Amino acid sequence: MSSEIFLGVARGIPLTLAVTVAAFVFGAVLGLPLCAMRVSKFASLRFVALGYVVLFRSIPPLLLVFVFYFGLGSGYIPMSAFQGVVLGLGLIAAANMSEIYRGALSAIHAGQWEAATALALPVRSAYLDVIAPQLLRVSLPSTAGYAVGLLKESAIASTIGIADITFNAGYIARMTYQGLPVFAIAAFFYIMISLPIAALARATDKKLRARLAL
Amino acid sequence: MMNLDPDTFKMPQARPFGQVDKPILRLEGIRKVYGAHVVLDDVNLTLRSGEVVAVIGPSGSGKSTLLRCINMLGPATSGRVVFGDLTIDEAASPTTQQLTHLRRSVGMVFQSFNLFPHMSVLRNVSLPQERVLGRSRKEANRRSLELLARVGLEDKADQYPARCSGGQQQRIAIARALALEPQIMLFDEPTSSLDPELGLEVLAVMQELARSGMTMIVVTHEMNFAETVSDRVIIMADGKIIEEGPSKQVMRDPQSDRAKRFLKAVKDR
Repeated sequence: MSSEIFLGVARGIPLTLAVTVAAFVFGAVLGLPLCAMRVSKFASLRFVALGYVVLFRSIPPLLLVFVFYFGLGSGYIPMSAFQGVVLGLGLIAAANMSEIYRGALSAIHAGQWEAATALALPVRSAYLDVIAPQLLRVSLPSTAGYAVGLLKESAIASTIGIADITFNAGYIARMTYQGLPVFAIAAFFYIMISLPIAALARATDKKLRARLAL
Repeated sequence: MMNLDPDTFKMPQARPFGQVDKPILRLEGIRKVYGAHVVLDDVNLTLRSGEVVAVIGPSGSGKSTLLRCINMLGPATSGRVVFGDLTIDEAASPTTQQLTHLRRSVGMVFQSFNLFPHMSVLRNVSLPQERVLGRSRKEANRRSLELLARVGLEDKADQYPARCSGGQQQRIAIARALALEPQIMLFDEPTSSLDPELGLEVLAVMQELARSGMTMIVVTHEMNFAETVSDRVIIMADGKIIEEGPSKQVMRDPQSDRAKRFLKAVKDR
């Protein structure tokens, strides 16, 4: 019986990972232009980006996912539950990632821009060759921390019927009346996914720090 | 202040003032203000090809700011930079093409080196050649290794900058700037963040560069370098050039009171 519970909850792992990874990638990519807008020399762009960040950081993720899936999804823009939750969490992730990037940007020495400028590097190269790699490097610890947070937030997917870890645990708990062991198993899976992310991030950070003294 | 050890540093063959070529760079009426504060007040300067000019003066006198006006890293409020056929009005927005032309012809070395920390030494020197001059990776690397050898650091090619001493980093930064085959080199207090010994190895490279005929403007606190390596010394104070002329003459027999006071202060320590 208990191995059935274990396997039953484990069947949710792929969808938990899928929601987390999709929302994270969505946010990590969209966060870059958002960060660029946030530090733009044009006040209007800065204002729009600030508005975006404030808005999406103020709405509870659960509510936002409901807005997309039950609100827009029912008639306006047809979307699957998976699309709804990735869109909701991803847009919030973009707001948070842009703030992480912005913090990392201020940690990059002004001399890096000056050297790139004095060397006549094209703007594209200054961003892609000089700034972006350092930005990703500096933001790595915060990014990993946020990814773990997103993993836990992905449990929201269960509320709109996505069979992730939490969804399966809830289902099995109701079927077996064994709430405590079932949810403990679910928690165990979340921990077992979080730990390697944190460990990998720490190891990478340490390695890069030693090599680059950044 | 440091002394150049005569065993390490042979005195350069002095190139007397005036025995240099035609003007290569002209600064006309450079003025820069921050609000009510005048940082540069109508500075005019003509640089001849092959000339080495040392710019000295108290902190806050506008030396580094002037240097940054030349390659438009920090454009002035008004004035013009004339470089060959190119005339740039500091107040107007130059085209990207003009800026690229100017900056690839005018190399710059910073006080804080500003190497790219996430790239190997070789990559630091090769990347600008590929992106700005369009050289192939192989071609750029070949040139980079030549230049690293010239500054005595070819064995550091595969290291990261963090693994190099400050003096080595600054020599790499010089190689990186030289890799774009500039016609003028600007040095912004290149040894100020180095301890005296490490400063020496950078000065040696700069001295070699000066002797090879490179046109250089060096903002510095190294009075010995100013006197013995440069052809001309400019003393700045309060955003103005208060004294200029052949190095030895200016360093040993300044005319204005302000220049006398400054030189007395730096020499009497």
